[in-house]
Amino acid sequence: MKHLLLRCLVLLGPAFALPALAAPPDPSAVRAHCSGCHRESSPGHFDRISDMRKTPEGWEMTLFRMHQVHGVVLDDDARTQVLRYLTSVGGLAPAEAAPARFALERRPNVQDLSLGDEMGVMCGRCHSLARAALQRRDAPEWLKLAHTHVGQWPTLEYQQSGRDRFWWESATKELPAKLAALYPLDTPAWRKWSAGTHASPVGRWLVWGHAPGRGDYHGTAVIAARGTDGYSATYTLTYADGTALNGTSKSVVYTGYEWRGSATLGQDDVREVYALSEDGARLSGRWFVNGHAEVGGDWHAARAEGAPAVFAVLPRALRAGAATEVVVVGRGLGTSPAFGAGVTASAVKALPDGLHATLAVAADAAPGVRPVTAGGARNADAAVVYAKIDRVVIEPQYGIARVGGGKVAPVIGQFEAVGYIDAAGKPGGIALGPLPASWSVAPHDEQAKAAEDVKFTGTMDASGKFLPAVAGPDPQRPFSGNNVGDLAVIGTVKDGDRSVSGKAHLVVTVQRWNTPPIY
Amino acid sequence: MSIPWSQTLRALASGTAALLLASCGGHAGSSNHDILITAAKPDRLFVIDAGSRSITHEYRIPGADGWLGGIVLSPDGRIAYVLVNHMESIAGIELSSGKQVFRADLSAPGERVKCLFAFDVSPDGKELVVYENPTQLKADEYVVEEPRFAVFATNAGLEAKAARTYPAPRRVHMILSKQDGKSFYALGFELYEYAFGDGKLLEQRGIRSWDHPGHSIPDLLAVWPVTEGTGEFVTPIYSNATVPGGPAGGVPTTSLMTLDLKNGALTYQDFEPTAALIFSAVGSPVRKEAFGVYSALTKVDTAQGKLAKRVNLDHTYYAVNLSTDGSEVYIGGAMCDVGFYDAITLEKKGNLRLPGCPDQALATLRVIHHP
Ligand code: HEC
Ligand code: HEC
Repeated sequence: MKHLLLRCLVLLGPAFALPALAAPPDPSAVRAHCSGCHRESSPGHFDRISDMRKTPEGWEMTLFRMHQVHGVVLDDDARTQVLRYLTSVGGLAPAEAAPARFALERRPNVQDLSLGDEMGVMCGRCHSLARAALQRRDAPEWLKLAHTHVGQWPTLEYQQSGRDRFWWESATKELPAKLAALYPLDTPAWRKWSAGTHASPVGRWLVWGHAPGRGDYHGTAVIAARGTDGYSATYTLTYADGTALNGTSKSVVYTGYEWRGSATLGQDDVREVYALSEDGARLSGRWFVNGHAEVGGDWHAARAEGAPAVFAVLPRALRAGAATEVVVVGRGLGTSPAFGAGVTASAVKALPDGLHATLAVAADAAPGVRPVTAGGARNADAAVVYAKIDRVVIEPQYGIARVGGGKVAPVIGQFEAVGYIDAAGKPGGIALGPLPASWSVAPHDEQAKAAEDVKFTGTMDASGKFLPAVAGPDPQRPFSGNNVGDLAVIGTVKDGDRSVSGKAHLVVTVQRWNTPPIY
Repeated sequence: MSIPWSQTLRALASGTAALLLASCGGHAGSSNHDILITAAKPDRLFVIDAGSRSITHEYRIPGADGWLGGIVLSPDGRIAYVLVNHMESIAGIELSSGKQVFRADLSAPGERVKCLFAFDVSPDGKELVVYENPTQLKADEYVVEEPRFAVFATNAGLEAKAARTYPAPRRVHMILSKQDGKSFYALGFELYEYAFGDGKLLEQRGIRSWDHPGHSIPDLLAVWPVTEGTGEFVTPIYSNATVPGGPAGGVPTTSLMTLDLKNGALTYQDFEPTAALIFSAVGSPVRKEAFGVYSALTKVDTAQGKLAKRVNLDHTYYAVNLSTDGSEVYIGGAMCDVGFYDAITLEKKGNLRLPGCPDQALATLRVIHHP
């Protein structure tokens, strides 16, 4: 009966619309391990547990807390079952998680959500507001969370930015309703998502992405089913300089779209935090190195099968008067890609994930965004032609690195030099993407100069990567200070005979002792 | 009110440094007969002879569970009441024997109670008033309850239960008994005064609603209730002061707040645009001056309301006290040594490193005068 149903579904849609083979959520593990304290007040409804929705990382933090504070021990099997159940009955719809995915993806140096000054100080001073934005509760449960906070951390009202206001009054009288209005339990998006069937990631994929400090990469991925609802993936990827970035991954898809993989990629063991798009056509997110979440790369993948499409040109920026080797990632691209007037493609060679070509860009080719067409597909802004770099902006503009030492690894600061050209009607100009640059550091201000921060805080390498020093006390510093400080980071890009520089602020600060999955 | 953060981090960072730097033991340099009391993690209570800079007793506090904080002395100087066990217990230790003679475990099954630093003994030594923050621990939920004052009889032994409780405001961080024994002060959002007997709120004034024209709402967090030398409590208090032609947000200013426990007089005195962080302060019994400590030792001329002298310290200290004759400044807390400084010149006169270098953390540094 079940098999018959599956076969029907296979016949109904394109291959990738095959629903994931998820069994109906089974509450037995939660019943066994949680209901001793969380009463099953009606069948399948566990007090508190069933009154909130979270991301996989949010639930993981809860399980960590139930273990650490309340002594709940789960073996691997039970943990997996509990997590599957919680994420399927109490997850976030893709659109609900989207605004704060940066926190799940552990993107370094991103601005937190902005929810106004009061919420920022009330809730955003210890951890990201994303942590709250990645949960859904009604007012009574947001209120209980305020009780949890003060019950667990009674000094909260006494700390700086806690004691200057009536924290408890605000957290218990005003914020629960505000939070419930922003992030309510019951939403149309979740009703629709939790009632629907979801695409399976199984199949062949085209992959492209960018790893800051390392460069663009591209290639293919093959994803196969593993066990009942896991997946395994094989990656055949290369960096722009030809270095292989191959790998394999084992993953689980939670809530019908939250891909969480454990992979080896090149030399690194990495964690993958990807989202399958609602239609199942894209898989995107970020991977990062285990133990060094600040080091990683963007990840984009599109189905290998389908109508012709141009996804990306690597590199995106084409210098007028120069020849550039490019890779066009796409499907059904044919052999004659076009980049608009003044750009001629030659030596076109098919790749598993698109094509490779040599582009001759005329010296007088018009600067600006270029649509790219190939095989009948068109991408309106896949490339940019430039004659002169007008500006270089160092990203991040404000970065944080942390000294290492003891059991705590340093947090690296990775910078990139993003070129811009000015363009009429585009106040911010047009971004050329990260460009090769040379790097240096300088004191950020007089205080940093006097304290010789440049000497003590760490070193900058040729790829814009700042490696912080070991934590103090450093007997060579005044007061045997820590090796923290304020630096200016300067990246310089060669543009023909000229060079263009940009500057950013790097704060090298103290270690962080805990690294929760959601900051 | 914002404190220059990078500066604080630098200071904190340099603080840890001292853990590794062995400091030399002091030598007898003073003829005073003060006894100092301090405590250090995980469970140690020290009785120190200030004159010879030596430890006369080192005791272990039972059931400290690795955490200790404020110290309050009985008026006769015989017993030290120490907040221990992650703010959940108060242990009364007899200083001559090290015996625990009083114990109040504030928590009970189903209710976790933390004393947020604030407790004091009555002037007759018979009662201990404790600020309690209870949280009800339900099967799957924490319910934060309203804070309360709990009064214990000091002769209630090792299983002391509160003789009476009454409602308290939130976010109180210090209790100071008034010398007439009829009331006590609680410092929090405001300075509250409560009747010892029935917990009636007698008066509420001057912190958030301080009467200090031209100043923003101040920032005050004091957890070192040092008053033994003068009967006055002195603490730094921070605000932004409006200065003619100055910046729009005002100028960060450090003032001293003084509360006289004899008569309840409350005064504020500005003494500098904030130039250094000061954690705690103490007034002099012999001159119009006060001393404050953190990564520097600060002397304030309270007659003129200005900074008299400041010297950098080799690491941070949280707690400060003064010899009975006002000639020597004692500093402690934060790390594992007690420093002795000349009250006139602020010169370092000695240093006593506690054996094993234990962390004094937030422990109060207390003085008992033995003539
Ligand atoms: C020994 C008792 C106990 C067991 C067993 C237990 N919990 Fe809890 N749980 C608590 C208590 C107490 C709280 C409230 C305090 C807190 O949040 O830590 C709580 C709170 C929670 C919350 C609310 C936290 C929030 O985000 O506000 C969730 C969700 C939760 N538990 C999930 C679980 C799950 C899932 C299990 C089973 C794997 C479990 N608990 C097992 C005692 C328990
Ligand atoms: C004093 C610092 C502090 C403040 C202020 C604070 N939080 Fe938290 N919050 C924490 C800590 C610590 C945790 C626990 C993290 C863990 O379990 O590892 C936490 C956890 C959380 C969680 C995850 C809880 C779970 O189990 O899923 C949410 C959501 C949250 N906070 C929201 C808020 C909101 C909303 C506010 C403002 C009303 C707030 N926080 C204010 C420190 C703070």
